[in-house]
Amino acid sequence: MQLALAIGSFVILLVHGVVFYNQFFHDWERYQTAYFDQARGLAKTDAERAAVTGRSARIEQVIVTNFGEKRVDRCLTCHTAVDDPRFTQHAHPTKTHPYSEALGDVRRNGQWERRHKFADFGCTVCHDGQGRGLQEHYSHGEDHFWPDPLLGFVTQAGWRADYTPHLKGTVYMEANCAQCHTEENFPGTATVQQGRELFFKSNCYGCHRIEGMSDGTLGPDLSDGGKKFKLDYLWEAIDDPRANLATSVMPKFNLTTEETRALVIFLKSRKGKNLSETEIQRYRLKLTGGAELVQAAIRPVTITPAAMLEQGKDLVRDRACLACHKLGDEDGGIAPDLTYEGLLKEEDWLFAHFRNPRSTVADSIMPAFRFTDDEFRAMSAYLASLRPAPRLASAAETYRALCERCHGEKGDGHGTIAIYLDPYPRDLTKAGFMNSKPVERLAGSIRDGVPGTSMPGWGRLLDDAQINGLLDHIQTEFTRQPRRELKARKVPDANPVAMSAESAARGEAMFVRRCGGCHGRKADGKGPNSLDILPRPRNLRNAPFVHSTNDARMFDAILYGVQGTAMPPWIDYGLSVNDVGDLVNFIRSLNPEQKESQYARTD
Amino acid sequence: MGVNPRRDSGAAAADPVQRRRMLAWLSSVGLFGSAVLSAFSNFVFIKPRATYGTPQRFSIGKPDDYPAGTRIAMEARRICVVREGDKIAAISTTCTHLGCIVGLSETGFACPCHGSRFDTDGHVTGGPAPRALPWYQVTLAPNGEIEVDKDAEVEPGSYLSV
Repeated sequence: MQLALAIGSFVILLVHGVVFYNQFFHDWERYQTAYFDQARGLAKTDAERAAVTGRSARIEQVIVTNFGEKRVDRCLTCHTAVDDPRFTQHAHPTKTHPYSEALGDVRRNGQWERRHKFADFGCTVCHDGQGRGLQEHYSHGEDHFWPDPLLGFVTQAGWRADYTPHLKGTVYMEANCAQCHTEENFPGTATVQQGRELFFKSNCYGCHRIEGMSDGTLGPDLSDGGKKFKLDYLWEAIDDPRANLATSVMPKFNLTTEETRALVIFLKSRKGKNLSETEIQRYRLKLTGGAELVQAAIRPVTITPAAMLEQGKDLVRDRACLACHKLGDEDGGIAPDLTYEGLLKEEDWLFAHFRNPRSTVADSIMPAFRFTDDEFRAMSAYLASLRPAPRLASAAETYRALCERCHGEKGDGHGTIAIYLDPYPRDLTKAGFMNSKPVERLAGSIRDGVPGTSMPGWGRLLDDAQINGLLDHIQTEFTRQPRRELKARKVPDANPVAMSAESAARGEAMFVRRCGGCHGRKADGKGPNSLDILPRPRNLRNAPFVHSTNDARMFDAILYGVQGTAMPPWIDYGLSVNDVGDLVNFIRSLNPEQKESQYARTD
Repeated sequence: MGVNPRRDSGAAAADPVQRRRMLAWLSSVGLFGSAVLSAFSNFVFIKPRATYGTPQRFSIGKPDDYPAGTRIAMEARRICVVREGDKIAAISTTCTHLGCIVGLSETGFACPCHGSRFDTDGHVTGGPAPRALPWYQVTLAPNGEIEVDKDAEVEPGSYLSV
């Protein structure tokens, strides 16, 4: 009992002793005392000696209120000699902060004068780090939980080992220079400018929003990306987009290390409100942003009719189209193959698709990039000129070359780019669907494509024999069930109910009651049940698709259902031909004839 | 306490009273030591090591910024910089009466609040002020700028030669 008490009391004494030691014997006290001793030794005049005599170690802090929120920078507590020009050759932390004309310092009468005085600017405005910290581990931001370690000097322990060598260097501090020096041609922020140009040139702006610069909606807003993300995260997001989020849609751009660095520095410099900005300037910036700014930043190419194809080619190559699309041997792994584009699409279709991707493919994830119409025309012309003659010996080879990227190696619709396509590629192994459709319909889908989806018409690449061979291949390899004779169905050739507002209204009431659960109240295919269903319910606001589907096919699908999908035969649930006529009228009324329909292939 | 059968055998049992006294003594040293340390720390920690006010030691620029004969009151810093010939000094402009900021007058300083008057060296010449205005230590920093330390008061009349 007494022994335990004695030990306990000594433990308490020990704890007190440690706390006491930590609170009264600091590293910074040692640094300051050492500095005072050295400065006394270096002093040549009485004035110099007087400057250090009588000074004792204490917390030196600069309180900066001019740059955003109040900063308390205690860096000078350890770095006592930053403003003492005699300590240029000493070791950290008692070392002179370098003087440089690039920083605006001037030399007068043999003495340097700083442009950015520590008393006015503090340290963290430029360097980042934790200004209040008094221990190296915390003040330099080595701690994992500190968002801004010393920019370009300190990398945190948890950062990816293959990136840390890239993340050091004074060049990163340009990101903080740009907080005040926002001019694009400021010589001190050349790398930020390089990154800004890359942001536009690589089409980052198509998906990402940066206030006052771009208005993409597909990716995260980067207006304050520099505040939210650490250097390591930014580098990884560019170099290896799927490392953090496996389902990221962000393509892997083939950038050099220097380009990645410039982009990272540019993004690090996006911290929301700039330090030199006034509220009214910021408000003005919020009002603008978009086409004119982007085009000013990119400096559009002047298209000359003679060199149009060549210029279109350069645009497609330079502006990172192939970060998503496939063209020849280059494959971005996200978007459809453009290798045979000239054989698949008309120039008009391409142009319309460029200007507004969703006008031709209703659920395309392709952003509307900010090119000029002339540039779009040149790119369309170039893509329309891509008409290579494919060498396709066998049906299996054809499938591999043309179909596999979407429909998958096993024909199950899970091709490499399938997750980026909406509607999802057809699962060719579902015998219920494949065998319930007449061969002519399947051949037609291959020959003419499915408008409003990513399925192109292959009619100009494949002749009828090849298409039938391909269907046979699919039948034997994937569907694997013999086709049976299809029973003839009683389907009207044209809608017997005349199109009228009343009919559409009746159709809508019925649609909301019967169909909305899967197809959604808005008929956009996003009903509450849609997520449980594969293939997903059809988006009935997909105008090109609806226009390409004749009444007979609609009646067939609604009355008799679509086998192999969740669509039931509504004839069993009491819908009459007239009811379906109202429904068809309602669906047609959602998709008024627009000029997009002219891009549906008719030949 | 129950009977411990081992107490009758073994070396420590030879003199249990002495062992118990020894342990009691050790415990009291431990507890008393920690109490002393805590008490001492408490007294020290009453005064914060750093406050968030404006720094007490600051630079006021190069000597060339103050030509001979200058007397400039710096309101934000609450000092008056005086240069006479090659000598520079800093005098407080906080009235020793109730802490108003004294202004420069022809005869020295004058407080607008209660009419205290000081001569050019800060000595009281009239009004309710109990003490003279303090002078602060002025040093020449290695980068050639003048530093004023408001934590260090010096004798009136002590100048820095530049």
